[in-house]
Amino acid sequence: MRAKEACYVLSFHTTADAIAFEKKAGETGFPGRLIPLPRAISAGCGMSWKLTKKEAPEQMQELLDSFGIEYEEVHELVL
Amino acid sequence: MTKLFDAKWKLFLSGAIFGLLAMLLAIMGNPGNMAICIACFVRDMAGAMKLHSAEVVQYFRPEIVGFILGSFLISIATKEYKATAGSSPLIRFLLGVMMMIGALVFLGCPLRMLIRMSAGDLNAYVGLIGFAGGVLTGTFFLKKGFSLGRNYETSRANGYILPILLVFLLILSVTTTLFAASENGPGSFHAPVAVALIAAIIIGAIAQKNRTCFAGSIRDLALLKDASLISVLGGLFVVMLIYNIATGNFHLSFTGQPIAHAQHLWNILGLYVVGFSAVLAGGCPFRQLILTGQGSCDSAVTFLGMLIGAAVAHNFGLASAAAKAATETDPAVAGGPGIYGKVAVILCIIVLFIIACTQKRKAGK
Repeated sequence: MRAKEACYVLSFHTTADAIAFEKKAGETGFPGRLIPLPRAISAGCGMSWKLTKKEAPEQMQELLDSFGIEYEEVHELVL
Repeated sequence: MTKLFDAKWKLFLSGAIFGLLAMLLAIMGNPGNMAICIACFVRDMAGAMKLHSAEVVQYFRPEIVGFILGSFLISIATKEYKATAGSSPLIRFLLGVMMMIGALVFLGCPLRMLIRMSAGDLNAYVGLIGFAGGVLTGTFFLKKGFSLGRNYETSRANGYILPILLVFLLILSVTTTLFAASENGPGSFHAPVAVALIAAIIIGAIAQKNRTCFAGSIRDLALLKDASLISVLGGLFVVMLIYNIATGNFHLSFTGQPIAHAQHLWNILGLYVVGFSAVLAGGCPFRQLILTGQGSCDSAVTFLGMLIGAAVAHNFGLASAAAKAATETDPAVAGGPGIYGKVAVILCIIVLFIIACTQKRKAGK
């Protein structure tokens, strides 16, 4: 069984924003991957972006701002 | 509470509970391989309210009220209720209409498709090809930037209206003769009101927690390689399969299936419309009810679209006829959609492509 890790999870207002984020992350080498929105965050059924705290870049906030893609919130979870 | 369904085996078990409750409702009087079909029951409800006049499919189904009410009550109790609105309401209304037209050409929503599959109805397996194709087409457009725009939080009262209205209508349906009720046909088969309502409230509450969605299951599998949601459907399928085999209702065939037809192309295209519109609307017909309960006014509008879609499908001859074997007095009927139903399905597919191609995410919004 995979060990759980401390993660950042970005939630979005729309699935399209999540998918646009995935594209931007792919272009810039931003770590992480798309996952279904964890149930602990919301009863909605959208998508979110997960990256472990270990792989998170130091300038994460600046990078996120530079993408120009609106995200709802950055959550801290153990997944 | 959210930890209740944090593993695939727990989701599978929750699906098995759905199966047990569907089985209970079938035993208690609901049509056997319909059990808890959303499209069929919304259609019956539209008939009961005299939005259409097909005499065999009129009954105010407590299950529809129960699904929404279960989600409503549990989301309030667990503080997850949030009234939201404002994401392309009329496009969602149209998607609801088309979802229902497609479902009534196939003769069932994705939930009934699964129940029919568990009874050995090969037409449902054919329909699954169309449903999966529709979901994958919708998913393709999601990847290309399709979006109906974000919703916004609104006054809580907006989300209360539909659950309360439905409860009021249910009370009217059991205390007055205002609503029509079938004496023959599928609408005349039903479990006692209290049993149907309680079972549906339980199903609605569980579905609010486990986020059951037929379209989302395939979307997540295709897009995220995640099998969580499809685990729920696995549990439901296994229980219904065991029930059908145990009761002698399992017949692996294209013909002789209750309320079904073997027009393969139209089974595929009917569910293609359902799958495609469900992904664009953000959930299958069942999921729309659950989202309505937890406060989504956009899903409530989709539900209203489904209700009108059911009326349109029956008033204008778009719904398919079920196949019938020959009797001493009547010849065999192949069933399937008539010419208007076929044209409607093609038009729905064209409109879905137009919506999918034109509604794009706006950068930075």
